[in-house]
Amino acid sequence: MDKAKPKNVSLTLWIPLILALLVFGAYRFLPFISQPELGATTISVLTESRSNNELGVITNGLILMPIAASVLFLLGLWNFANHEVNRTTAAVTALMGVIMLEYYVVFAQDYMQEEATYLSSMSIGFWVLLILGILMVLQVFLPRSTVEQEFKLTKMIANQESAIIIALVALILIVGISNPRYLATRNILDVLQGNAYIAVAAIGMSMVIITGNIDISVGSLIGLLAIVSGRLVVGGWVLGGWEIGGLMIGGWIMPAAPIWVAWIVPLILGAAIGAFIGFLVTYLRVPSIVVTLGMLSILKGLLIMWTSGQRVTDMPDGYLIAQMKPFGISTPIYFMIILTILAAVWMRYSGLGRSFYAIGGNAEAARLSGLSERRIIMQVFMINGVFAGIASVLYATQLSIIQATPPPSLELFVITAAVVGGVSILGGKGTVIGATLAAILLNAIRSGMIFIDVSPFWIQAVQGALILITVLIDLIRRKRQRL
Amino acid sequence: MATMEKSKMIGDGKSPSQILKDIALSQEGILFIILVLTIMILSRSNENFLTTRNLFNQGRLMAEVGLMALPMTFIIITGGIDLSVGSILGLSAILVGYTWSNLGMPLEVAIVMALLGGSLAGFINGLIIVRINVPPLIMTLATLAFYRGLAQGISEARSVTGYPEWFFGLGQGTFLGFPSQLWLLIIAIIISITVLQRTTLGRTLYAIGNNAVGARFSGLPVDRTLLIIYTFSGFMAGLSGVIFVSRFTTTRSDMGNGLELDAIAAVVLGGTSIFGGKGSIIGTIIGVVMVQLLRNGLAINGVTNDATIVVIGSVLIVAILVNNQIQRLRQSE
Repeated sequence: MDKAKPKNVSLTLWIPLILALLVFGAYRFLPFISQPELGATTISVLTESRSNNELGVITNGLILMPIAASVLFLLGLWNFANHEVNRTTAAVTALMGVIMLEYYVVFAQDYMQEEATYLSSMSIGFWVLLILGILMVLQVFLPRSTVEQEFKLTKMIANQESAIIIALVALILIVGISNPRYLATRNILDVLQGNAYIAVAAIGMSMVIITGNIDISVGSLIGLLAIVSGRLVVGGWVLGGWEIGGLMIGGWIMPAAPIWVAWIVPLILGAAIGAFIGFLVTYLRVPSIVVTLGMLSILKGLLIMWTSGQRVTDMPDGYLIAQMKPFGISTPIYFMIILTILAAVWMRYSGLGRSFYAIGGNAEAARLSGLSERRIIMQVFMINGVFAGIASVLYATQLSIIQATPPPSLELFVITAAVVGGVSILGGKGTVIGATLAAILLNAIRSGMIFIDVSPFWIQAVQGALILITVLIDLIRRKRQRL
Repeated sequence: MATMEKSKMIGDGKSPSQILKDIALSQEGILFIILVLTIMILSRSNENFLTTRNLFNQGRLMAEVGLMALPMTFIIITGGIDLSVGSILGLSAILVGYTWSNLGMPLEVAIVMALLGGSLAGFINGLIIVRINVPPLIMTLATLAFYRGLAQGISEARSVTGYPEWFFGLGQGTFLGFPSQLWLLIIAIIISITVLQRTTLGRTLYAIGNNAVGARFSGLPVDRTLLIIYTFSGFMAGLSGVIFVSRFTTTRSDMGNGLELDAIAAVVLGGTSIFGGKGSIIGTIIGVVMVQLLRNGLAINGVTNDATIVVIGSVLIVAILVNNQIQRLRQSE
């Protein structure tokens, strides 16, 4: 336990970080030194609104913020000098202080420009930072044995899920430092919501990939089911009949269906189409990539044939489930989180869920141990269809119009989410939690780049590069673990 | 595998009708029969279909997918896949426009830049697939996004037009009475067939597809071969990009979006097994021609584009299905 000597060496390594922190801290303190009125105005405005009780709890946080920030920052630096404290912890503590200060400055500036309505929803990010900072400080005062069990990065990225969480936190911190508006509650909720339907579809896709298959048609399927759902609830479309020279002969003009029917039918239809794909894959032994490549064209063509490219509008308000906000949080987020947890538990503990891994890991062994490969593959494609159905309803209801063409390359986004989430394309490995986290990460990257003013033209390139890096890290780590 | 080789050798001593039956019932044979039937049906229903002019036009339209489908066949034979070719096409199209218009270089240099850029993109794919052992599907899925993003970033979503007249000769002109890009396609086909059938490189591809580990242990240069074919794929996508620009007279960053799936569909339709180890260039060509003629034949018969997509998707599934069943029956015989 003689760590005295290496510490002296490592101190030089930390010097750039200390300098960076000091410069950054000074840079952020400067507005208050050069413009004393800034601090004064802010405090007076805040005190005023606090006495008017406009912002309530949040304002208390605002008064606390500069104090807490300074305390954290100084404590962090002091800990740094104290050789008994873990340097990582100390550095992170100081960093927290700087970020909170950053918060405060932007907050104050926005308050002066009367943009407080937006920023007043910043509280969650702030409280998280405060709690993290306090935990960091507390760690200093805990018994030494605990301190020495410093958090090891290598241990924490032992699986792809935690690697993605770390990437996500790092991204949020980095973007948050350069633009604290990124940490606003509303933005964080937007980040979570933006890819929620992709995450839901990625759950089903992960299961399919875990069994060693793939579904390239999921983008077209979501597009088709969304239109089906929208048309059902609006009504006025024609079922059956023939079109001759632009005239419709025969057929029924469908009335508007009840809302719950419009929600349920895509799920059933998705399962039916999934069953069809599964039938072709298992009983007729066409590789799934070929079947779904064909289905991609078929479903897309059917969709445009059926709609003639017309989008669906005028949906009733009660139908727009993705725009509902129980307890202030949009429904897609609930769907994403609840479905991911349910699916993860189900994959872990149910017989069928385990058999997906068995089939994907070693189909021959699974067959010999009495699993019916055909039935299981059929089932996984049906489940995938149901998840595509749920995703399509979320997609259909997120705006007040439904486009007749599915979003381009949607299937690639879904597959990317699953793959970045650590689902092995060779089958047998991965979890649905990883896929959902990856879907969130992909959206966080996109939105983060807007916040740090990356040119919109370069966003896709950076996103592509980051996807590549994530995948490479996953692979290299797996290789190391095998050694 | 051994029995197949044997039956081929015995084929020499078989009666002519037996050999004919073998050829007809091979993957390519069945596809060819389907193709001829399709052409017969389509030409019956519309007299404009089977004209030289129309067929040449179709030759123009299928050149880009055809050029990309050739290396795709190689890659799929090794059990890999290249999803990034559509994006590489877009990237090299942008490189043509950017080098010529923004950097002010001669157009000849711009074309070389595009070809080099395409090859480099393919080389990077191959390098990472070989060195880090990334599954090709994942690697090219990531570069699909990355290369398209590069194209968008370099072009800043602006299109480049106003190319000199001679450049359009490549995509719109004729050479010796044939559409110019069809010559390129024909040359590429001949080279590809020769490489695949007559060279060690070509045979190595099959060996890798059948058993990559075995191929490695037999001393075959697996890594180098893979590197070559992925670079080749990038080069061909670059070439397609140049032709694409010449044909459309403009450069946009979304060019070639989704063409990778067209190329893969043509290869798979041509009987190349998606699991690797089996396939031929002839089959791929039949696949490319069939998709293009179906599209065109249905269009001039008044079928809407959307219905055509449905038909092509169905043909893909049914063709593979029928082929699978016939090959299985033949094996059990």
